[in-house]
Amino acid sequence: MGEHHLHILPAGRSAATILFVPPLFEEANRTRRTLVLAMRALAAGGFAARLPDLPGQNESPIPLVEADLTRWRAALAEVADGIDGPVVVASLRGGALIDHEAGAAAWWRLAPAGGASLLRTLLRARVSADREAGIASTLDGLQAEAATAPLLLAGNLLSPAMIAELGAAEVQPVEPLRSVALGADDLAGTPLWLRAEPGEDAGMARAIAADIAGWSQSCGII
Amino acid sequence: MGTGIQGFCALGARARLKDMLVTDTPATAVDATLRALLADVLGLGEDRAAALTADSGLFGELPEFDSMAVATVLTEMEDRLGILIDDDEVDGEIFGTYGNLLAFSVRKVAG
Repeated sequence: MGEHHLHILPAGRSAATILFVPPLFEEANRTRRTLVLAMRALAAGGFAARLPDLPGQNESPIPLVEADLTRWRAALAEVADGIDGPVVVASLRGGALIDHEAGAAAWWRLAPAGGASLLRTLLRARVSADREAGIASTLDGLQAEAATAPLLLAGNLLSPAMIAELGAAEVQPVEPLRSVALGADDLAGTPLWLRAEPGEDAGMARAIAADIAGWSQSCGII
Repeated sequence: MGTGIQGFCALGARARLKDMLVTDTPATAVDATLRALLADVLGLGEDRAAALTADSGLFGELPEFDSMAVATVLTEMEDRLGILIDDDEVDGEIFGTYGNLLAFSVRKVAG
C-alpha cells in the first residue's frame, strides 16, 4: 500500500509479531520515541515488532484529508494479513478505535480513548488559536462547518467523513483483549500523549514491552 | 492456544476526583487533581507543579502553555473532575493564573 513500516526484528526466529497501532494525530508524535524503545525491548525478547504509518500520517505519501477511520481500519487489516505467523495487535489511545478489523491472535490496548473526546480536544485547540488571532469561533459552529467542507484542526486538514467518524467512534469489543490504563495498579508511566513538548519514558517503554510479552504468553501465543 | 485466556478491561486507573473525595475536602482534592493534570500536560515535574501558587501565571507565562495545551487541559479537566465545560465559559481569565483555574474548577465541581 506504499506506506512505510518501522520493522524491528529479533536476532533469531521471531515467536510472534507485535503490530503497534499508534495514537492518532499529534499524539502519535508525542509517543513515537517511547513506542520505538518498547519495540526494541520486544525484539530483544524474541518478538518482531512493527509500527506502520497510517495513510495520511507520519511519512505517508497520501494527504491526510483523503484519510478517514474506515480507510485506517482497512489499511491495518491489510498489514495484519501480510504478516506470517501469529499477530498481537498493540494499540494506544485513539489507535484502539481502528484496531478491531485487523486479524490477530490477541489484542492489547493502552489507555484507549473515545473518538468524541479526541475530536473535542482538536476543535478546542482551533477555537483557542482562533481566539488568539481575534476570531470568534465555537465548537458547534466548527462542527457545522465540517459537515460540508474539510476543516483545519491543530494543523490537521480533516475531511467531513473523518470528522463525522471520529465524533462517533468508540472502542469496539475484541477477544482476547487486555486493556491497560496508566497508574500505580496498572502500567507505571507518564501520559506522554498529553505532553505539550516532546518527552520520553524509558521505564514506561520497558513496562509496555514486559506487559505485552506477558499477555502474549498467557494467551498461549508464545 | 493455551487455556485460561481472559479478556478484561481496566477503566481509568488514574486518580479520579470521586476516589479522592473519600479522604480529602473538595477544594483539596480539586487542587491535587489540577496540579497532577498540569504536570502531565505541561511536563512540569512534581516539584514545579507543587510550587504553583494562586498567583502563578499560566497561559502567556509558561512557554509550554500554547493553544493545543489549553485544549488538552480542558478535555482532561472534564475527564478527571467529572465536569462539562461549555466553550462560552472559557475566556483568557481562567488560564491567567493557577488561582483562577482552581477557583473555576472548584465552582464547576460544586455544580
